[in-house]
Amino acid sequence: MLSFIVVTFVLIAIWEGYKLIWLQMGWIRPVRPDNTTMPHVWDMIIELFRPVRRGGDLLILDLAARSFFTLREAFLGFVIGGIFGFALSVLFVRSTLLERSFMPYVVASQTIPIIAIAPMVVVWGGRLDFPQWLSVAVISAYLTFFPVAINTLRGLKSPDPTALELMRSYAAKPREVLWKLQVPSALPYIFTALKVSATASVIGALIGELPAGFGDGLGRALLTFSQQFGARSVKLYATVIVTALVGVIFVTVVTLVERKTLAAGSRDFEVELMTGRATG
Amino acid sequence: MSDSPVVRARNLGKTFGKGSDRVEALRGIDLDIESGEFVSLIGPSGCGKSTLLRLIGDLVPASSGELTVNGKSPQQARLDRDYGIVFQKATLLDWRTVTKNVELPLEIMDEEARSERAASMLDLVQLSDFAKHYPWQLSGGMQQRVAIARALAFEPSLLLMDEPFGALDEMTRELMQQEVLRLWQQTHTTVVFVTHSIPEAVFLSTRVIVMSARPGRITDRIETQLPYPRTVDTRESAAYYDKITEVRESLRRGDRQ
Repeated sequence: MLSFIVVTFVLIAIWEGYKLIWLQMGWIRPVRPDNTTMPHVWDMIIELFRPVRRGGDLLILDLAARSFFTLREAFLGFVIGGIFGFALSVLFVRSTLLERSFMPYVVASQTIPIIAIAPMVVVWGGRLDFPQWLSVAVISAYLTFFPVAINTLRGLKSPDPTALELMRSYAAKPREVLWKLQVPSALPYIFTALKVSATASVIGALIGELPAGFGDGLGRALLTFSQQFGARSVKLYATVIVTALVGVIFVTVVTLVERKTLAAGSRDFEVELMTGRATG
Repeated sequence: MSDSPVVRARNLGKTFGKGSDRVEALRGIDLDIESGEFVSLIGPSGCGKSTLLRLIGDLVPASSGELTVNGKSPQQARLDRDYGIVFQKATLLDWRTVTKNVELPLEIMDEEARSERAASMLDLVQLSDFAKHYPWQLSGGMQQRVAIARALAFEPSLLLMDEPFGALDEMTRELMQQEVLRLWQQTHTTVVFVTHSIPEAVFLSTRVIVMSARPGRITDRIETQLPYPRTVDTRESAAYYDKITEVRESLRRGDRQ
């Protein structure tokens, strides 16, 4: 935490130092040091405590409400994508044929830009009478399932071959091999994936909000403020900081859950819990 | 147990690969292992001793010939949980305590009174004080003792050991040999033991099966005829050295054939 604070101040110092030196020397490359292109850090923070528009809420309150809204969509996308990615990896570890047949499509899905997929999902979701937040969550899930599927698959394949032979000698059922050996072995891989997915889910939700025409999330705020960049760039900068914070908070929560889950002994408990759910 | 052998192999063969990659790992194996025997398989690398163990344990299927375990197919014997297996690697699950590792097969087999069984197994391998420890907190020898406790926990009729002490230092190795003999005499389990150490094979076994490579085959069967219990005195006896010499010469003969 201390090192994080130190780095934050160093970064602020670099930003302000650049402005100072470039202004003195009259340099304009690579970036102009003026207050529109590179506003002072304190101006960004002060902006957070000004009304969004005349007579409106403070920017920080407005952004907090938007953050909550976007985070909800992102979290739902994170859950949907996580479950889908996990299910895919279990199918693939059970059947090499399925893995070889479908893995190219899984990889290809991620080379299609999300900006191309998002409007389609919104239109299809609309025809299916999905609420718009659900369409946004689906777009977010489209980004999150991939790291989970790839990493979990690798984790499920990580146990030593002799461990699988032991399970074979116990005449263990595939379900038991999965929950008692493969999934516990995969947990460190799964958490790495979930951290990637946590950030990706926020990006997915932000982009998903644009074609959905949502006025309530951070996505719309980013779009609006970037259009006003020439006039009041501080608003965009302030919103970018808040958006980044949302991602950081999400990843931090995942990391805390990871620490709790991977602590000595608790993986066992987790697994018995999941086994119970799988049987019941 | 009936009078029929625990393991019965007739003209057993195993071939890996196809075409030009074809490797004949085992040819014409005839072997009977009686209940309560301690049989070692010894031979140079590539003689198929581990493959023979894996055929018996139904970890790989045979290519030709006949093989029965307790009068059943190896697969049926595996489904009936007749095998306890110990590999060179202890292969403990590092998120489970020592006790929970020993309980693993019992959980899968839905056995009753798991914690009592695990406790008595740990008592047997003298690791009761480490029941709550995690595998990474144990030495290599202790880990292997946990693996043996786990293999014996469900009272299999046949214990298969594939170079179980190969990764241990000499001192630990001798202690473990003593330990495994004690367990064998207490549990009356039949043991098939793969090793490339001649003294180890002689010290442990009632019978040493000498194998040779290309193709893997049995070239000799030697009864050790040393009295049990075997102790440090056994290791220093003339009869023990004579047997080691006999096995060594047999291995050399087999290699020349």
